[in-house]
Amino acid sequence: MRALCWNGVRDLRVERVPDPEILNPKDAIIKVTMSSVCGSDLHLINGFVPSMRAGDIIGHEFIGEVVETGVGVKNLKKGDRVVVVSVIGCGECQHCKEETWSLCDNSNPNGLLQEKIYQYPTAGIFGYSHLFGGYAGSHAEYIRVPFADHGAFKIPEDISDEKAVFVSDGVPTGYMAAEMAAVKPGDIVAVWGAGGVGQMAIQCAYAMGAERVIAIDRIDYRLAYAARYSGADILNYEDTDVLEELKEATGGRGPDCCIDAVGMEAHTTGIEHIYDKTKQLLRLESDRAAVLRQAIMACRKGGTVSVVGVYAGLVDKIPMGLFMNKGLTIRGGQMHGQRYVPMLFDLIRREIINPEFLLTHPVSLEVGQNAYEMFNNKTNKCMRAVFKPFN
Amino acid sequence: MKTEQVTHSGKHQRKWKKEFNNVNMAERLLSLAAGGILLAKHYKHPLASPLKVLTGAFLVYRGISGNCPLYTGLDKNSNETNAINTRVIFTVNKPREEVYKYWRQLENLPFFMSHLQRVEQKNDTTSEWIAKIPGGVGTIKWNAEIVKEIPNELIGWQSVENSTIDNAGKVEFYDAPRGQGTVLKVIFSYHPPAGALGEGVAKLFNPLFKTLLKEDIRAFKQVIEAGEVATTKGQASGRK
Repeated sequence: MRALCWNGVRDLRVERVPDPEILNPKDAIIKVTMSSVCGSDLHLINGFVPSMRAGDIIGHEFIGEVVETGVGVKNLKKGDRVVVVSVIGCGECQHCKEETWSLCDNSNPNGLLQEKIYQYPTAGIFGYSHLFGGYAGSHAEYIRVPFADHGAFKIPEDISDEKAVFVSDGVPTGYMAAEMAAVKPGDIVAVWGAGGVGQMAIQCAYAMGAERVIAIDRIDYRLAYAARYSGADILNYEDTDVLEELKEATGGRGPDCCIDAVGMEAHTTGIEHIYDKTKQLLRLESDRAAVLRQAIMACRKGGTVSVVGVYAGLVDKIPMGLFMNKGLTIRGGQMHGQRYVPMLFDLIRREIINPEFLLTHPVSLEVGQNAYEMFNNKTNKCMRAVFKPFN
Repeated sequence: MKTEQVTHSGKHQRKWKKEFNNVNMAERLLSLAAGGILLAKHYKHPLASPLKVLTGAFLVYRGISGNCPLYTGLDKNSNETNAINTRVIFTVNKPREEVYKYWRQLENLPFFMSHLQRVEQKNDTTSEWIAKIPGGVGTIKWNAEIVKEIPNELIGWQSVENSTIDNAGKVEFYDAPRGQGTVLKVIFSYHPPAGALGEGVAKLFNPLFKTLLKEDIRAFKQVIEAGEVATTKGQASGRK
């Protein structure tokens, strides 16, 4: 089959690789019909996540059709149209039983490697470095899905592919961002990052009753999308003082909930950005935490900061005094998609959330490198490029 | 008094000899070869590269005598081996009886202990173990005995006398808090043979041992909880 492989920093190529096979009883093979780029892929492509190996197939946000099932698969059959959650959960360990699927004890074959860095292993993720299991990703014609009964969900007939593909990762991550931020009716919510996840966080915050959501980014077209499709008020941090504006917008109290949907490659302005860039280049910090810092500073006393932007290692200059003295709550995590998918289908069907506008660029695998460049450089008003491997 | 002194000095002599011979045979041969090559290359013009000649001479001395002054300085002795003790604690999300029963059925162990080929229970307490030597060099066999057993609580075993593999260990089973499964405490102790005996045995157990045991424990948890061991072995990639 054809697959988009990572060969080195910013070097993606389509390679001919063997078709995936059933390796374990609970596996299924899915013929991929759509596979989206995701902001977290950029950390891999740009070389900020360790343990990538040349030849790795990337991609983790996808839908497809079941073509083969292992003997242990009960709920799926050939021909089923499914969305697959990007995080893999065994369904049986304590964490899966508690519906915190991304913390699964058993789905990461390289758990021991991860223990060395994170102390405890977390779940495997498709196409997301060997630290997260080394599973082959979805930017390919076919993909093997372990523990398929738990991770693959049949897509209701009245939900289009263009909406369903984002239920794999972007929508549940946005939902969990709002859930962890403890959004309550009447709250004012600030969301840093107006990419796919940020947009979904805005929509989900409104779904939970937020009175007002403010999106913060530096890319004007993304802010325009946030205003138009997700109903947010917008702030371009390059043109304005974010902390002042947020105070202004909240009667001087600060937002109740602050969501970091940016993560480890955050940009900011002036000396702070130069400082972070330099430290990251010198490997003195692995992650640039400009957004996390600002969220902690902006958040109202007693408020909640929710982190879904991806961090890999160590950050620098976290304002701990503010966190402690303002009595904040900080929560973070990879999303527990398996817990949310059926409910998200329902929200989409009722048009309370709608991810369809994210799909700005349907493309073939062959233009993979260019598609990611466009996505990375925020050109052509790209929100998400989505690969259709069979077109 | 006299006898004691003699014993003392004899002990001292043996100790001195042991300390003097602080390089094992494999290292001695390597030293000899490397030193020989260096000397052969530079013996015609020793003053052109004195450092290399000196190094060559040092290596040859080390090879022939079995003594390395650097090791003496570092208090190192590559002839000695220490027991390797490994302790792993983990929780399995299944009832204690079930976990105990699975472990006590020793024939199950090769399902998750990747280096084990087969365990055969000879009678209630004695069993024969066959392990693969990493690298596919062959297999190795030993007998073990269950020396202590409290159903649903503890299994302790020991290799029988004169086994090629000298090991002992125990597993304790506890209820996890809030009824969330079973806590297992595994203690494994292994004494690798000294000297040339069982080069393959040492290869099997020494540096990789702890990692292997941890991997095996992870696999045990996966088998008993999820019914299969997560893997990517055999999956497609663009690696040539």
